[in-house]
Amino acid sequence: MANTLAEKYAERIQHHLSKYPDKRSAVMPLLYIAQEEYGWLSPQGIEEVAELCDMDPTQVKSIAGFYTMYREQPKGKFWLHVCTDLPCALKGAETFYADLLAHLGIEDGGTTEDGTFTVEHVMCLAACDRAPMLQCNFHFHEHLDMDKMRELLDQWRKEAEAYANKDV
Amino acid sequence: MSDKVKIIIDDIEYEVPAGSNLVDMAKWYADNDIPVFCYHPKMEPVGMCRMCLVEQGSIVKDRETGEVVLDENGNPQVRWFPKLQTACTQIVHDGMVIRTNTEAVKAARENVVEFLLTSHPLDCPICDKGGECPLQNLTMAHGPGTSRMNYDDKMHLDKHVPLGDLIFLDEERCIQCARCIRFQDEIVGDDVLAFHERGRKLQIITNSDPGFDTYFSGNTTDICPVGALTTADFRFGARPWELTEVPSICPHDAAGSNISLSVRLDRDFGGRAMIKRVMPRQNEYVNEIWISDKTRFGHHFTRSEDRLKKPMIKKGGVLTEATWDEAIRFVVDALKAADGSVAAIAGSSTPNEDLWTLRKLVEGLGGGLLGAWTPTHAGADLVAQVGVGKGTNLGDLGQGDAVLIIATDLEEEVPIWRLRLKQAADRGAYLVVANARKTRMDDFASDTVRYDYGQAAHAMQNLDAAIAKKLKEANNLIIVAGAEGLTLDGSRALMQAAANFLIESGHIGKPNNGLLSPFPGANGMGLHYMGFSPEATLQIMQNPPKLLIVNQAELLADDPFAAEWLNKVETIISLNLFPDAVSNMAAAALPIQSFAERDGTFTNGERRVQRFYMAQGPMGEALPAWQVFSQLSEALGQGHAKLSAAAVMKEITENVEAFAGMRYKELARVERQFPDVGGEDLYYGGTAYQNKGGLGVQIETSADKGEAVSVGEVKLPDSPKPKKGQVLVVPVAQLFNRQSTFKPSVLVHPRVPQPYVEINSKDAARMNIKTGDLVEVMMADQIRVTVQAHVNGGAPEGAAVLPRYLTDEATPMVLTVGEIKKV
Ligand code: SF4
Ligand code: FES
Ligand code: FES
Repeated sequence: MANTLAEKYAERIQHHLSKYPDKRSAVMPLLYIAQEEYGWLSPQGIEEVAELCDMDPTQVKSIAGFYTMYREQPKGKFWLHVCTDLPCALKGAETFYADLLAHLGIEDGGTTEDGTFTVEHVMCLAACDRAPMLQCNFHFHEHLDMDKMRELLDQWRKEAEAYANKDV
Repeated sequence: MSDKVKIIIDDIEYEVPAGSNLVDMAKWYADNDIPVFCYHPKMEPVGMCRMCLVEQGSIVKDRETGEVVLDENGNPQVRWFPKLQTACTQIVHDGMVIRTNTEAVKAARENVVEFLLTSHPLDCPICDKGGECPLQNLTMAHGPGTSRMNYDDKMHLDKHVPLGDLIFLDEERCIQCARCIRFQDEIVGDDVLAFHERGRKLQIITNSDPGFDTYFSGNTTDICPVGALTTADFRFGARPWELTEVPSICPHDAAGSNISLSVRLDRDFGGRAMIKRVMPRQNEYVNEIWISDKTRFGHHFTRSEDRLKKPMIKKGGVLTEATWDEAIRFVVDALKAADGSVAAIAGSSTPNEDLWTLRKLVEGLGGGLLGAWTPTHAGADLVAQVGVGKGTNLGDLGQGDAVLIIATDLEEEVPIWRLRLKQAADRGAYLVVANARKTRMDDFASDTVRYDYGQAAHAMQNLDAAIAKKLKEANNLIIVAGAEGLTLDGSRALMQAAANFLIESGHIGKPNNGLLSPFPGANGMGLHYMGFSPEATLQIMQNPPKLLIVNQAELLADDPFAAEWLNKVETIISLNLFPDAVSNMAAAALPIQSFAERDGTFTNGERRVQRFYMAQGPMGEALPAWQVFSQLSEALGQGHAKLSAAAVMKEITENVEAFAGMRYKELARVERQFPDVGGEDLYYGGTAYQNKGGLGVQIETSADKGEAVSVGEVKLPDSPKPKKGQVLVVPVAQLFNRQSTFKPSVLVHPRVPQPYVEINSKDAARMNIKTGDLVEVMMADQIRVTVQAHVNGGAPEGAAVLPRYLTDEATPMVLTVGEIKKV
């Protein structure tokens, strides 16, 4: 079976592998690469990482399951983590989150019908002083309100369309 | 374990071996069962469940003088840890003091149980483990009695998750002890289980293909301290308290794993006693507390509806049902008519008692040749001379010791040896694996050796100097020599070369030193001691007698070339569990009992004679083979028939020197074994059963007795040479296969590979064959099998590796040449 990751990301993979005496130590960065390639940790991605790290796929899957920043289900192209922990909540994050969900017409943890956005609430992301905040595909966006949010969503939607058209 | 230390448990002092585990020592010396869930005496402690909390301290000594400091009452002062400690992670040391019966300890135990139960479904009434469940027992002993939990608040998870085809997981019963994961990782080395998610949602997963891909999965159901892991075989089959445990021996391979057959009178078997499951029975010398999945799930053949149930004799050219009286008279006449031209071939799982009575019968008729089937593995005589010394325990091998495994794929042939030798390597033993191809054992080897197929003896004699040196200088050395990729002559040469190596380096005649061979079947060594040999089988093939008795040997299913010579035999008397191609051409086909329905003994590869007991109700009119032979002898006027297997064994002890002292009573002896599993405290070792049927007795080798040994001159045989366009066809073993004694275990079918041949990538490229292509393997012009090609790096160039017992047609038993064609 061809190992897509090994072919496409040879240099980055080598970079991570070379840092450790044991291949398996590089499993976490390689899982991020797999997630980047497939959008989530698909069975294929798990297999490939297992092969690269010389581990049983079961152990790789276990690591993917333990950490919340790995996606084990296919989700939206943009993965939004909105902090609703106490300091953010004091700055109105809960209302903000509810508005965002209503705007997208989904429930907590849900994905929009077009598959563009998945939205979840999370614990403190260490940006309390800039609340309300969220991270989108692991990039922070701070001092948010719904106006700003709508702009961001439009922008991401466009990016998603552009990406889709490029594919055709 | 020579150094001793003094520890105090609940105010009483004990002297225990230094370096050992506190839980083990408390149990062994003080009879104090410290409750555990995650700890298991066969695995490294992890301290995960906190069930084993005790108060712990040390006796205070004066720093300067080293004197013990006394309190005002003159008792030694103890410095207590401020908090309770997990006993399972403590190594005993001098002056260690623990208390297991204080209020603090009681409260801790109660709290841990209560905590575990907050997420447990408490569905004991429908749980397979109910009745022998550590969680149930420890809750009764230490738990709070009532729950403060609201049932509706419990975490609910999936209850019927298949982990592969053989094991089911109930996610909400799991208490997250990781015993199953650690077993697969530490003991087996098949790292195919892991935790997924965290906290309450944590579950066991497997991501291997096929799921739970290992030959040892069933053991996890024994050590799982709850009913989270259950077997597809026993699930909802019976309640543990309805079962009677009958000691038995695995009939499938040379390990001779001690098992317990759990039987009950069952409606599904006409009210007769029926095997509901196969469990391990502790024998630290043989299988410890583990069994392979073949041992556990390979019992269904005993109840197969295809079993031969009535004696059949040929009347007017057709096999017709007869009474036993008729059949005996018929066979006696046939025996008389053969005029002494009588021989016998016995299969390698024929019990000792049957072999002995068969031999007496044949000898009484003036016949001679006694053939062992299959004629693939030579050198049982050498194992009798320089086999592993009496008292050998593979579990003792470690640092400073060495093992050489040559010409065998132990994973497929004797999985329990593979398990135990893998652990020997983990403990530091120097493990060398030599074969013409990569086998699973390579993964655990310190060094690997490659040679060409057919050249094993040559490779044995010409080991790399550095490797040979390490083997020779090892404190203890065991050589496991198989017959993969060899002819019978080649096998003999290898066994001789291996024996010579051991003799030269002085590794014979003492425990944990000597020769082992993965003989097929459960009684390969028994065949030797009772006078049956593969060489005699070859002579029978070359010179077929007038009358041939074939006992539990499926000649035609095993050997594609058998028909040629079998046709020349005038009269065949067949005794078998199943009607087969041999019984179809026989003058009489007699039904015999399987190991499950009778008493008897097998001699395992380590020459340990072990008893199995009658467990299951009879199948039709089948009789134990010894009884048939004994009755025939009587009818021929050779003395009275024996009335019991024990009486046959008594006769053996009087006539076969190696078996002197093997009376059934001796074989049934037991002793306390470490670790002390299988008692009331199931939580300690799991549901491996205590050994109540006997540890068996190991036969001494000639070297053990200090007798002279003779190996004979090693003749390196000409190995078959492929001509242009041909390849070497190499039969190999496959544990899960379609042999008649395994095929009826339907639940394992998804795990039995489709028939295949493994081809080297270069050969495949030359013949334009890809993985998945159907190919025809053609041998000796007329023999063809159609199988799937695998080009997975499992075969050296010029060799076609053809697993046995996967196809319906017979495939070669020993190394030969053939052609491969794409179809
Ligand atoms: S399945 Fe059983 S053995 Fe495995 S972690 Fe859960 S409770 Fe322990
Ligand atoms: S509480 Fe939201 S970022 Fe810290
Ligand atoms: S923590 Fe000691 S048995 Fe689990």
